[in-house]
Amino acid sequence: MSSLKLREIRKAFGSLEVIKGVNLDIADKEFVVFVGPSGCGKSTLLRMIAGLEQITAGDLLIGDERMNDVDPSKRGIAMVFQTYALYPHMTVRENMGFALKFAGVSKPDIARQVDEAARILELGPLMDRLPKQLSGGQRQRVAIGRAIVRQPEVFLFDEPLSNLDAELRVHMRIEIARLHKELQTTIIYVTHDQVEAMTLADKIVVLREGVVEQVGRPLELYDNPANQFVAGFIGSPKMNFLAATVVDKSADSVRVELINHQGTRLSIPATGGTVGEKVTLGVRAEHFGEAGAGDADVTLKIDVAEHLGSTSYVYANSGVEPLVIEREESRHQFGEDRIVVSISADQAYLFDSKGQRIR
Amino acid sequence: MTVSPMIAGAAARPVARAFVPGNAWALARRGLVYVLLSVAAFLSIFPFFWMMVGATNTSAEIIKGKAWFGGALLTNAATFFAQVDAPRIFWNSGFIAVVATALTLAISSLAGYGFEMFRSKIRERIFGLLLLLLSIPFAAMMVPLFVMFSQAKLVNTFASVILPTVASIFIIFYFRQATKAFPSELRDAAKIDGLKEWQIFLFVYLPVMRSTYAAATIIVFMTNWNNYLWPLIVLQTAENKTITLILSALTSAYTPDYGMILFGTVLATLPTLVIFFLLQRRFVEGMLGAVK
Repeated sequence: MSSLKLREIRKAFGSLEVIKGVNLDIADKEFVVFVGPSGCGKSTLLRMIAGLEQITAGDLLIGDERMNDVDPSKRGIAMVFQTYALYPHMTVRENMGFALKFAGVSKPDIARQVDEAARILELGPLMDRLPKQLSGGQRQRVAIGRAIVRQPEVFLFDEPLSNLDAELRVHMRIEIARLHKELQTTIIYVTHDQVEAMTLADKIVVLREGVVEQVGRPLELYDNPANQFVAGFIGSPKMNFLAATVVDKSADSVRVELINHQGTRLSIPATGGTVGEKVTLGVRAEHFGEAGAGDADVTLKIDVAEHLGSTSYVYANSGVEPLVIEREESRHQFGEDRIVVSISADQAYLFDSKGQRIR
Repeated sequence: MTVSPMIAGAAARPVARAFVPGNAWALARRGLVYVLLSVAAFLSIFPFFWMMVGATNTSAEIIKGKAWFGGALLTNAATFFAQVDAPRIFWNSGFIAVVATALTLAISSLAGYGFEMFRSKIRERIFGLLLLLLSIPFAAMMVPLFVMFSQAKLVNTFASVILPTVASIFIIFYFRQATKAFPSELRDAAKIDGLKEWQIFLFVYLPVMRSTYAAATIIVFMTNWNNYLWPLIVLQTAENKTITLILSALTSAYTPDYGMILFGTVLATLPTLVIFFLLQRRFVEGMLGAVK
């Protein structure tokens, strides 16, 4: 049983509190990704789970056992580090068997477990090499192999792909997803790359300044963000934000006017907000429609258009409200310096002045 | 295919370089650097060369200023071995240097590791205090140190030479600085692998930092092998003397035999040379702070 429960977990360095009361349930075999900007506390939280950082307050339960003061090696976890952390003086085989050797496992059993992990990760020809004789991707596979050998209940990954080039990152991402399927173990994965989070996770935990902003399935977070921070963080390109004012309100909708597009009004299905309140309208790049197709049209000045083959991105309105518009049509030509796009009320999000979602 | 006139012109430009004052200055500066480096190299190598040459000449030839190899090597060797109980003296020096080096490396590297890995305000202050102690000259500590060893009845023992050197502040500082380059993730990985702190030190830190240890070995061994002032004070009987004390005693004779003394000096430099050449590659890595 490898479920985890975090109850009011706090971490302070002196008077500076960096993790501010995190509550989280992670189910057995779940792939959970901690995501957030640099300094949000995601790695610290992972290190607290690993036992590499003391927990200042709260309870950490792995299975049903309180693990706050248990030695890292006895928590049933294995960790893969961003810098691989392979012992440079040991061969791949020695690196992978090192933990088992110290756990008192017999030599034949170590050999069997190491060979099994090597088979899973196709490390066979590399077993007698030193880490310095391996490429970045191979080192990362060895680091994962070292974790597998320990047969942990929970795998912890701390930004494992950050040191790899773009192509290898995609390859290793698929490897990790395959591995999760094969091993059927709980994985907690830290990244600042929301694409990794979206593609790998069963559940994403978005953190900001030591606080959990939202927990949910990737598309749940994408489609239904709890606040402006999550809306802006999840999704690439990030969500567009337009300043607006509430001009009218009914029982089931809020009518807003865009401040930088005078006269453009639309009614968003929501019950919150007050007339005269300054709000923010969020629209994803792919939700801008053709002129006349939505509930309101806006005219934008085109700055740059990027053609990626199947998709084009139009960057518009620099200086005032930088917006990104996605056009699915390939080979789209933007001859003019202006573009008219429409916004559909049912594909727009409303946030109050504190960034909270108005529903 | 057309070629733009500009590019074509560039290709046709004559290869001979025109005189540019800036280039001449750069050339002169480089020349000056070479001259200075050559002088420095000569000043470094000449004493060593002169020692080797002197070991093959008679005292009279050396005094006359003969600066090339002669034929008195065997005579000098015979005189040296007749006057000096060489095996005993080299054993004394070797024993002191090897034990002091081993203990210094063990204690100082542990201290350097501890200061860097377990940082706290109080430890930072203690470390600052240690660095401050570096500024106290050894001469100021000699008398109290002698009294201390005298009270402990350790005067005229090898322990009295070894013990004051084993907690070297400079080597602690050196190891602490080197430990900054030790990847903290390795320690984290080792903790997760189930290693205790002493096991991390022994099985991860020590092999990873072998270049640092190699460089420190050379520095500490050389310091202890060449140690003169303190052994002169505490080693009082002939059978305990080290090679540096014996060489010094030979030079203070009424008519010193320089050929024989220089032969002894050549012998005395051999162990340090051997250690240096054995650890040379690691020494360079260690001094650069490399963690391989």
